[in-house]
Amino acid sequence: MSTAVAMKPVHRLTGFMPLIALVALVAALTVADPDFLTQRSLIAVARTAAPLIVLAAGATLVVLCGGIDLSIAALASLSTVFLALWLPELGGLATPAVILVAAAIGAAQGAAHVLLRIPSFIVTLGGMAILSAVALVISGAGTVRVVDDSTIHWLDLYLAGYVPMSAAMAVLVVALIAVVLTVTPLRSWIAATGYSESAARLAGTPVDLVKIGAFCVSGGCAGLAAVMLVSRQFSGGPTMADNLLLPAVAAIVVGGTAITGGHGSVWRSFAGALVVTLLRVGLPIVGVPSAYEQILYGAIIVVAVALTLDRAKVSTVK
Amino acid sequence: MTSEVVNAPRRQSRRGASFRDAGPPVALIVVFLVFAALSPQFRSLDNVANIVDAAAVLAVVTCGITFVLMMGSIDLSAAGVMGASALTVSLLVANNRNDNDFGLLGIAVAVLLGCAFGCLSGLALVLLKVPSFMATLGMSAVGLGVATLMFAGVQPNISDTMVKGLAIERFLGLSYLTWIAAGCVLVGWLVQRYTRLGRYAFAIGGAEEVLALSGVKVKPYKVAVFTLAGAFYGLAGVMVTSQLGAGLVQAGDGYDFSAITAAVVGGTLLTGGRGGIGHSAVGVLLVMVLTNGLVQVGVSPYWQGGVEGLIVVAAVAAAVIPQRRRNQVVK
Repeated sequence: MSTAVAMKPVHRLTGFMPLIALVALVAALTVADPDFLTQRSLIAVARTAAPLIVLAAGATLVVLCGGIDLSIAALASLSTVFLALWLPELGGLATPAVILVAAAIGAAQGAAHVLLRIPSFIVTLGGMAILSAVALVISGAGTVRVVDDSTIHWLDLYLAGYVPMSAAMAVLVVALIAVVLTVTPLRSWIAATGYSESAARLAGTPVDLVKIGAFCVSGGCAGLAAVMLVSRQFSGGPTMADNLLLPAVAAIVVGGTAITGGHGSVWRSFAGALVVTLLRVGLPIVGVPSAYEQILYGAIIVVAVALTLDRAKVSTVK
Repeated sequence: MTSEVVNAPRRQSRRGASFRDAGPPVALIVVFLVFAALSPQFRSLDNVANIVDAAAVLAVVTCGITFVLMMGSIDLSAAGVMGASALTVSLLVANNRNDNDFGLLGIAVAVLLGCAFGCLSGLALVLLKVPSFMATLGMSAVGLGVATLMFAGVQPNISDTMVKGLAIERFLGLSYLTWIAAGCVLVGWLVQRYTRLGRYAFAIGGAEEVLALSGVKVKPYKVAVFTLAGAFYGLAGVMVTSQLGAGLVQAGDGYDFSAITAAVVGGTLLTGGRGGIGHSAVGVLLVMVLTNGLVQVGVSPYWQGGVEGLIVVAAVAAAVIPQRRRNQVVK
């Protein structure tokens, strides 16, 4: 995965953090509720986790480049509206169309970030506001019902009778991104951009294109997550995915991907997304009111970022 | 801090700064005149009073965020802090959920809670080195969680006449809330101009390394700035509660982004070291005139967030373009 040059002890520890957390959570939940390790509840967990895994995996690429994409949730919400509006006319073509449009919107944000030299969190914060407004306007600020869902129904089926198709798709997407990164020079380009952008530029890495590409994949993943949401809820809504932003950011940082860039991988975010989903599902099981969920996300984000930060690189933190 | 020290650098940079400083007020006048020409309802005296009244809460939030932006940091926690403070104040003054009736003390507690949240964000920044946008994003979630816990499924409606009256009763044609906001802007301006905290906030944004090398302990000032910002958000939460007559978790929805828009459009740079309360006050009026005017000429209010998003990106891009060759690395 990452370059093994002088891994600091803290990094070696954070490398296993998501797995340790995952095992500990499953163990704790099984103790708290013996019914947890049954087929039914595991399938429910997998189905809940699927959109989050896809969202987090896409945004991980942006974080690996050293930026952040705060617009993923708003883009996913907008994509649910697009999908619900386009399904009657486009039918089976609506799904690829939505993913393409979402990827194009992501790429446009990346281009704005790279060409105008605006920090990525500002571009995507502005993008979040713009995309939410567009979603509100084209949906008339209401839920758009999907009457005929035959073309996206396959995502709601089960593979081999047990594995939810959406979860299988999520794993497939993560594997696809991981394989493409490994067999092409992309992995080292992204890592170089994240570790030291100036050095990467001097070494001839197409830094600008890498960044735009990362934003493009992040957008496409938001589109795919939207398709999963619509297939489960039979409707699209202008704020449907908005509450997935914090869990997605939490999944990335809990996985151990450093927000300073370079260090991390999509598999880590996969594990992080599972941890976040288990926390979400597990809190009611152990009898904690769901209001603590938000507090937990906030605390997790701050602590996980602090643990994974590359301190050598940040002299002044703004 | 004598006034000569403060004035000296201003005089030198006057030529470069004058255009930048004049831009937002000129834009405010131009936008106002355009909408006044387009819509008869817009130019009525009532509507002008409306705009100023509607700007009150945003002005207070922007006061807080301006200090953070001057340091070159950013604060996304306003929504969460305002939610927590709104619930706190609505449960502490006379309400339908419990027998509390603390009046002004309740407001003070809500403001102090805002301080505490701000302080935590600041500590996460200086001690854990978590970048401010992440620390405050996390803190916003914590604030919303705390607010949801206090909300507990039953909306607290306030019956305290003093708190409710702040939004309803008027003085010289403007609501009390507007005068409170004007007071906040004045206090913010005094802090920025005459206290060490305000001057150092500027200096941290301009050149933090230089300031640290000249022997200033930067960290306590950073925490203090975030704490001050938290106090403003806490007060803003109280003001929203007064307007709504009830404590809502969503009291601060959208204010964080609107405040960033207002500060940026007023001429405060996100890289820090330029701008200030005066700029932000103009920015607040500009944002409010724009949103009010767009509705008056028939644009759907749903576009408001989109317009703000475009303004932020455009304003930041305009500020960065002159230096784009210099800063090669943008994260």
